[in-house]
Amino acid sequence: MSNDYTAIFGYNSMSFELIAQLIKKRTKLIILDANPDKVALAQNNNLVAQQLDYRQDDDLIDLGIGSSIKVLFCFLEHDSENVFLTLSARSIDKDLKIISLVNHPESAEKLFAAGANKVIDPYEICSNKVYQLLTKPHLTWLLEQVVFGRADLNMAEITIPVDSILDKTSTQNLAIHEKYNLFLVGVVDKELGEKLYFSVGEQDHMLDVGDILVILGAHRDIKHFKQEIGVID
Amino acid sequence: MLTRLTLYLAYSIKTSELHHRSKAFFTDLLENPKSRRKSYFDLFMIILVMSSVSILIHEVKNESNLWSIYFENIVVTIFISEYLLRGWIHSDIHLVIIQHHENTKYLGQPFSLYKVIQQILKDKLSYIFSPSAIIDLLAILPSYRPLRILRVFLIFRLFKLLRYSQSIQMFTGILKSKQFELTTLAIFMGFLIFIASTAIYIFEHQSTGGQIATLYEAFYWAIVTISTVGYGDIVPVSTGGRLVTTALIISGLGVLAFFTSIIVAAFSEKMAEFQEDKVKATIEKSKDSIIVCGFGRVGQEIAQQLHENKKSFIVIDPNESYAALAIKKGYITLNDDASKNSTLLHAGINHGATTILCVTGNDVTNVYITLTGRYLNPNINIISRANRDSNVKKLYQAGANHIVQPFAIAGLLASEYIGQPVAFNAIHGILHQQKDGQIDALSIVENCFLDGLSIEQAQLMQYKVSLLGVISDDSSHAKRRNRYKLRNQHFYFNPEENFKLKAGDTLVLLGRQLSIEYLQSLIEKSHLSALKDAL
Repeated sequence: MSNDYTAIFGYNSMSFELIAQLIKKRTKLIILDANPDKVALAQNNNLVAQQLDYRQDDDLIDLGIGSSIKVLFCFLEHDSENVFLTLSARSIDKDLKIISLVNHPESAEKLFAAGANKVIDPYEICSNKVYQLLTKPHLTWLLEQVVFGRADLNMAEITIPVDSILDKTSTQNLAIHEKYNLFLVGVVDKELGEKLYFSVGEQDHMLDVGDILVILGAHRDIKHFKQEIGVID
Repeated sequence: MLTRLTLYLAYSIKTSELHHRSKAFFTDLLENPKSRRKSYFDLFMIILVMSSVSILIHEVKNESNLWSIYFENIVVTIFISEYLLRGWIHSDIHLVIIQHHENTKYLGQPFSLYKVIQQILKDKLSYIFSPSAIIDLLAILPSYRPLRILRVFLIFRLFKLLRYSQSIQMFTGILKSKQFELTTLAIFMGFLIFIASTAIYIFEHQSTGGQIATLYEAFYWAIVTISTVGYGDIVPVSTGGRLVTTALIISGLGVLAFFTSIIVAAFSEKMAEFQEDKVKATIEKSKDSIIVCGFGRVGQEIAQQLHENKKSFIVIDPNESYAALAIKKGYITLNDDASKNSTLLHAGINHGATTILCVTGNDVTNVYITLTGRYLNPNINIISRANRDSNVKKLYQAGANHIVQPFAIAGLLASEYIGQPVAFNAIHGILHQQKDGQIDALSIVENCFLDGLSIEQAQLMQYKVSLLGVISDDSSHAKRRNRYKLRNQHFYFNPEENFKLKAGDTLVLLGRQLSIEYLQSLIEKSHLSALKDAL
């Protein structure tokens, strides 16, 4: 794992926050930009940065796409650049995780077609948030806690390990509210595929090894829960 | 003595609440173009005029019956009172007296009743001789039955309609704006007609074998010809007469074309202005509206959502192509710079607007609009967008209530995706308010079926929603676990079974849109039925 890198294309206002977050998580980063001034700026901020033209496949391979780079963030300023980069990277590495920003909603489809795993539209999220602030200010506060993790509330995903006490338990009998003081957001039941089922009392899922629980709660409670079910010691 | 009595009356009128109120009411009814009352009054008057004119036309051939006389009397009474009321609100007599009194006192001169009366007469005469007042007066005359000749003034009753219809007023406004061109044209036409009628009189007089007997006939012929109507009842026979006719027809065509082009040009010039006025009038009527500054990607998305949810909002963007896009989508739009005081005032920052959204792509502009908005209205809710983290503080300083950072959220989401892709999907879905799983807040209203129940009793799971927490300002919950401060309330995450729900609390739920909406409708229904029972 130690040789895995995360590459971020584009050093600009859009990627600053991402870089800050990734540093917090101690991810190994490499920042790439075609503009030497921006590269110098990143280097000044003690970041690993390199000037690179994303249009050359050879340069991408040299960088480590297809080998050491496991995650690629396309945060370039134009949709066309992001699409091109996604396309090139995907053709080199089939398993690479590619996350791209999108400026225009119609480009999202193109990015998916080019092979992006996830497309993020900051403007749409922003407008949704503004609208929420208008109509439900309380909710926005709450979501902010969950997304930004500013207060103690966090969202976490937990994969059920082998020999866990949760193996062969149904979600209804989990009693996660009472026992662990947590809120179950949803379940990925591997028997039913990769889809996340929100926990809204519609169906009962039998948990097996490998299923994923998405939970919400205080940091301490999440840790306690993880210990209990055997994810961490 | 008389002077003192006049002054006393003037001051007592000035302080009279009744006088003030009634004057304001009638001004609103008769003169204020934005008032709703005036539009009803105008409609009423149009109907009145039309029906009275139809009755009078009917009487031209038939005998009048008793009812129509009664009706005519009522109509005339209304007309006369309208005429007098307009005269009353045209100027304030008492203010003239007081003004004069104060002026003379200041200058140390004697108060002259004569001068005051002169001034008052001047004011009122200016009303009496204004074109619309003359039309009003003439419209009253035809009901004076002994003088049948006054029936001619029936036409003035129709002219009265001018006053009540906005589109006709618009047309006269256009004509007025082109006064200079139209006068020039009229003078030119008068000149042309004069020359042509003189010439035709000389060439085509009966004594020279033509058909024209008098100067009036020559004038009539010139008008018929210049307007290109050409009845053909009088035809030139001499070569000279035919030459005059040819020349007159050609110049007539020119005059007509000139006239048409003036009117069309005036219309297109004024149209933009009228549309702007219409937008302003709509803004003034709107309540609880939201001012969206900036119609870029974010502004467009928000406007779309607001439009879908039938909220009233005003878009402001200085960029013409963005403003045109907003107009095309049918939004109320001001193509102006939102950082100017006048623009925000036009948009109704001090009346009707509840929130300003500064969502331009430029942080400097957002700070400036926020500052302007806060300065103009200290209580308005301002939500601003910050593209750079370093500007968040400045926006709060400028007076923003909430700040949204699009790139920060995107960055956070993206970083979440590495470690926890499933949790990321959940957050992403919730942030986008997906239909199959969204977090929503429902308020518990008084006497609804949830009011007073404990969480165990409420059994929210039966509605296919899960309870994430409760927002409450009840201090009895103070000792509970999972308490998070939220402004002047607290958010209780994952509350215990014995947590008692109360009116005013807010449930935070996770569920499908359908089930949340269903639960909301249940709450509203039970609230309404409780209200009914109480009555």
